[in-house]
Amino acid sequence: MTPARLARIFRYKLRRSRLLQLLLITCFWLLGDWLSRTLHLPVPGSVLGLFILLALFATGWFSTRNLRRGAELFLAELLLFFLPATPAILNHPEFLGWTGIKVLIVILAGTVIVMIVTALVVDACFHWISKRQLIKPNNPEEARP
Amino acid sequence: MIHWVDGLTHGFSIANFEQMILWSALTIGFYALMRYVHTRISLWWTTPLIAAPILLIITMIASHTSYAAYISGTHWLILLLGPATVAFAVPIYEQRKLIRQNWLVLTIGVFVGSTVAILSSWGLATLLGLDGSLRLSLLPRSVSTPFAMNVSTVIGGVPELTAVFVILSGIFGAAIGELMLFRLPIRSVLARGALFGMGAHVAGSHKAYQIHQDYGAIAGLVMVFAGILNVLAGPLLAVIFQRF
Repeated sequence: MTPARLARIFRYKLRRSRLLQLLLITCFWLLGDWLSRTLHLPVPGSVLGLFILLALFATGWFSTRNLRRGAELFLAELLLFFLPATPAILNHPEFLGWTGIKVLIVILAGTVIVMIVTALVVDACFHWISKRQLIKPNNPEEARP
Repeated sequence: MIHWVDGLTHGFSIANFEQMILWSALTIGFYALMRYVHTRISLWWTTPLIAAPILLIITMIASHTSYAAYISGTHWLILLLGPATVAFAVPIYEQRKLIRQNWLVLTIGVFVGSTVAILSSWGLATLLGLDGSLRLSLLPRSVSTPFAMNVSTVIGGVPELTAVFVILSGIFGAAIGELMLFRLPIRSVLARGALFGMGAHVAGSHKAYQIHQDYGAIAGLVMVFAGILNVLAGPLLAVIFQRF
C-alpha cells in the first residue's frame, strides 16, 4: 500500500460517494474557520475554505470532478440554509410599523439600483475592452439557455 | 443570535433535543413542501424563500414559540451556509478561463457595484429619515451575511439587523433578477452573472446557478470579491459614515 495507491483509492471512493464529498467540503469549511479564528483574520472561514479548495484544484492533485456532486447538492439546497434566519423579524416588532416599511423601501429600491448599475457597467466594460483588444473573447454573447 | 463564525463553539449546546428535531423537521418540511408546490404553481409568492418563512412564522405564533427557542434548534442549518459557500469553489474553478480573461471587467464591476450599494443605502435611508445605527446597519446590505455582519460591527451598526436586511436583499434580488435579464439590454455572461452576485449575493448566485451554470460561477465569484472588498474597506467606511 503505497501512499500513491491509497490516494487513488480515496479519490475513487470519493467520486462515487456524495456523502463523502459533502463531508470533505464541510472539512474545508472547518479548516478555514479554524484558520480564521486562530489567525484573527477579518475574512470569514467559509471564504478561506473556498480559497484553500481553489488552490488545491490549481495544484492539479485534486479534480473538481471529485467534489462536483457534493457541491451541486449544497448549491441546489442553498435556500434552505437561509430559512431559520427569517423568523428573526418576530424579535423586532418595531419593524411592523412605518420604520419597517421605510427599511423595506430602502432595501428594495437599493437592490434594484445596484443590480441595474452593476449589470450595465459590466456589460459596457466588457464590450469596450474586448473591442479595444481586438481579440474575440472566448465566451462572447451567449444565447439565453 | 446568528453568529455562524462563533457557531461552532456555541451552537451545539442544545438543552432540548426534542425541540431541535421538531423545528428542524418543520423547517425542512415547509421548505420541501413549498419547493414542490412551486414546481406546480409557479407564482412569486409560492417561492420557498417567501412562502416557507410565512408558514414558519404562523406556526411559531400559533404554538407560542419564541425566536430564541426556534433558532437554538435550527442553528445548525444556518451553519451549513459555510460549507455551501465553500462549494462555490467548484463552479468558480471550472470557469477559471472566463474569469482570467475578464478579471479587469469583474474588478470594475465589483468596485462600482459596492460603491453604488453603499451610497444607495445611505442616500435612500437619509431621504426617508432613517438615521443612527439603523442607517449604518443598512449599508453593508449587498454583501453576503458573514461579511456584512463583520462590516456592520466595524462601522457601528447592529449585526443581527444587518443579517436580516442582507437576507431580504437576497430574496428580493433573486426574485427580480430573472425579470432584469429580460428587461435590461445586457448580453454578456459576465454582466448577467455580476447582476446576481452583486445585487443578491448567496440567494442570487443560487438563482443564477439555476438559470445557467456559467452565470452561477460569475455570480459566486463576484459575491466573494465584493465581500472581501467590503470587509477591507470597513474601517474606511466607519471613518466616513460615522461623521454624519
